[in-house]
Amino acid sequence: MLNTVAVIGYAAPIEVACGSTVEFKLSSATLSSARAQIVKIRCGDPDPSGPGVQLIAMPSPLDGEVALTHQPIHAGSCGLVDDAPALRALDSFSIGCWVWPTLLDAGAQTVVARWREDTQEGWRLGLDAQGRASFTVAVAGHTCSATASRALLEREWAFIGASYDSTSGQLEVFQRSLDVLGGRDRSASDKGSAPRHAAWPAGLPLSFAAHLRDDGTLHLTAAHFNGKIDRPRLHAGVHSLEALRASAAALRPVRGDTDLVAAWDFSEAIGSDRFVDRGPHGLHGVLRNAPTRAVTGANWSARTPHWTEATEEYGAIHFHNDDIDDCRWNTDLSLDIPTDWPSGFYSLRLSATDTDGQPAESHVPFFIGAQPGQARARLAFVASTATFLAYSNSAIRLDLQPTEAMLEQLLVLGPDDAYLQEHRELGLSTYDTHSDGSGWCYASAARPILNMRPHGGGYYQMDTRVIDWLDSTGISYDVITDSDIHRHGAQLLADYGCVLTGCHPEYYTQQMLDAFETYQAGGGRHVYLGGNGFYWRTAFHPTKPGRIEIRRGLTGTRTWEGEPGENGLSSTGEPSGLWRSNGRPPQRLVGVGFDAQVFDRGCAYRRLPDSLDPRVAFIFEGVGEQEVIGDFGLRGGAGGHEIDRVDTRLGSPPHLLRVATADDFGSGGLATPEEFGVSHRGLGGDQNNQIRADMTFFPTARGGAVFTTGSIAWGMALAHRGYDNNVSRITANVLRRFIDPAPFTGFGASDEEAY
Amino acid sequence: MLTTDASQARYLIDPTRLDLAREFRRVPRGHYSLELQQVLYRMRWSGVGQRHVLLMLEPGRRWMLAQLPARRGEPLKTFPEQVFTSIADAEWTVFCLRWELLTGESISNLNLD
Repeated sequence: MLNTVAVIGYAAPIEVACGSTVEFKLSSATLSSARAQIVKIRCGDPDPSGPGVQLIAMPSPLDGEVALTHQPIHAGSCGLVDDAPALRALDSFSIGCWVWPTLLDAGAQTVVARWREDTQEGWRLGLDAQGRASFTVAVAGHTCSATASRALLEREWAFIGASYDSTSGQLEVFQRSLDVLGGRDRSASDKGSAPRHAAWPAGLPLSFAAHLRDDGTLHLTAAHFNGKIDRPRLHAGVHSLEALRASAAALRPVRGDTDLVAAWDFSEAIGSDRFVDRGPHGLHGVLRNAPTRAVTGANWSARTPHWTEATEEYGAIHFHNDDIDDCRWNTDLSLDIPTDWPSGFYSLRLSATDTDGQPAESHVPFFIGAQPGQARARLAFVASTATFLAYSNSAIRLDLQPTEAMLEQLLVLGPDDAYLQEHRELGLSTYDTHSDGSGWCYASAARPILNMRPHGGGYYQMDTRVIDWLDSTGISYDVITDSDIHRHGAQLLADYGCVLTGCHPEYYTQQMLDAFETYQAGGGRHVYLGGNGFYWRTAFHPTKPGRIEIRRGLTGTRTWEGEPGENGLSSTGEPSGLWRSNGRPPQRLVGVGFDAQVFDRGCAYRRLPDSLDPRVAFIFEGVGEQEVIGDFGLRGGAGGHEIDRVDTRLGSPPHLLRVATADDFGSGGLATPEEFGVSHRGLGGDQNNQIRADMTFFPTARGGAVFTTGSIAWGMALAHRGYDNNVSRITANVLRRFIDPAPFTGFGASDEEAY
Repeated sequence: MLTTDASQARYLIDPTRLDLAREFRRVPRGHYSLELQQVLYRMRWSGVGQRHVLLMLEPGRRWMLAQLPARRGEPLKTFPEQVFTSIADAEWTVFCLRWELLTGESISNLNLD
């Protein structure tokens, strides 16, 4: 078995341009060196029924041995406030905040602290292993605690707090449930005794949702809290629970309150990794590992579901013990991308023999994207990097209970899956749930991603099958990336006569949709060879390259559902969810939109009367009128996996020609939830004619046009029988015609201009 | 909060319906009769015990039987003596394991070809 995880790593940045620099950050727990080489990916799919993995060596200064070390990943999010005189000078003090715990059996968890685990110094407020509020103070080598008598409830708000009286040495801890009805009241308190006149360790940050392991400069943390923390308050002197709660209720601190040390307001700077103190000392902080922001606080009233309209009700942050944003590894190799390299999918290949004597081959992926004004071809293929990130390190086959039933086959895992099962510190995808069951809203490229590389499976691998086919045809093309489309907009697309999106361009930002609309309206031609595209409203973080965000709203095919009121993107303030729910269904852009999943078998296409229209005769050159199209490929058909259909009510254009369809899926064709209002037994593909993959053509304006196949499986059929098949023929017919600048005729020029 | 319950599936498998086992033996992947589909959803939805999976040893050619652990972070349990060169054989082996666990009746030694 090929060892694909003896070395892991990531490229920074993951999307680069010729002439820029990419750094490689590597780690191996078992090997001291490996052979490095840059390769360009033609096909990353090892399936023997396809073309197999095909890599093109790209000679570079990196060729040769690279020394390896083990670089650990420290998962778990937290907030850190640098030490300050106001923190060191605390004598008697009181601390309190709202908490919404989500995983009480995760062991002792720190909510807020100035605590060193190695020396057991300082103070910490948190939950003990039984889920009870607990306050610990260590003074002169004596560690003293007070712990409430009852466990909190998961996913229920409670105000927890504590005080230390330095003159008497008395500790007090308390918890008060927000909802006390129906057995939910877990209010309790406790007192303890500690030495008087404590002195706190110097140089130690104050931390939220974890405490410091030691005084190292990396500020490594432990005892991560799972759940929300809302409106923490720190006061000098001893204050009651009621007083602390009142302090938190006042969203802005009372001016002139000399006891107030800090009043943190997590509703400020929601789009950033910073948090703000509204108190008198400016004890602002930074967040590590991207905890979830724009989440409802204990005071959320539901008067609006969107955080930008009531920021004061979004003063909470949801922390997770498995959050990971940036591994912060050291750089092992660095490459200045030669200016004459073609754009494309690339990787740093690391080869070795593992400690068991087995061959090891690992890939660290990156993309070279063509830049505006630098087109070298008439055709651009879009690397769906937002979608690849959304699926990065997907563990749904490991964690999601009904996956085997959904896929209708025994799950087949690869060595990467086995590694991910054991190494959750890699961080999962936006399809997965955190250890507390809440969904992953962010995905970052600053960590090893196992399913975005050759041998790694996923939609990355599927899209390389399209690249392989393009290379087999000799059609010249550039590769452009999602984030470059997001950043540069329509000017990047405008360099090309035709833009090709691949098997599953599912995640789109508003800027990307705008770019495509502008491109089409300006005469651009768009070939969409996939299914379930242009589906989720997504954000690239404005200042953190390689970080995307998604919220799973109340509809759509989704593996988790966000909390009420939490469908707004923290990065940008936009609503998330489906583009269909945001007034821009995919049908409006590309004529077709997602209708069903079909995992049990593929289905062939049959031509429809529109295919005989002479204006689209070019599509079917060499294909008979009655010829079955694509009765081969993924599970036996070019239609399948996830499929799209025409719907004029959702925006499919009046000029659209529906030239072929794959519609014989049987009961394995399962409608996506947004396709029906009430469920009944007739929704499956055996009884529902809206379960289908539609092949379409329509003209846009100024000579532009769109062609779609409406199926993820289409690209997997291209290489069948040595590329000599009618799926390949139709795709080539369309691409050659689309890159030919000759206008499409017969559609009515005035109508085209108006469209 | 949208959740899936690991014990959600409730279909009771009739151990005397060996015709369904025979049907699966013939066509381990693809379209099934409604009754076989119900049996398979029972097996595949909630599973029984720890979920059996295949660990790919060689793409498209060799697979080892394995079992997912109960908790995240724990390693897969593998069965090195159970290596398959046919997906159909692997599907059948797991079908027999699940049939026995759900019905108490073993079918692995019956000739159902």
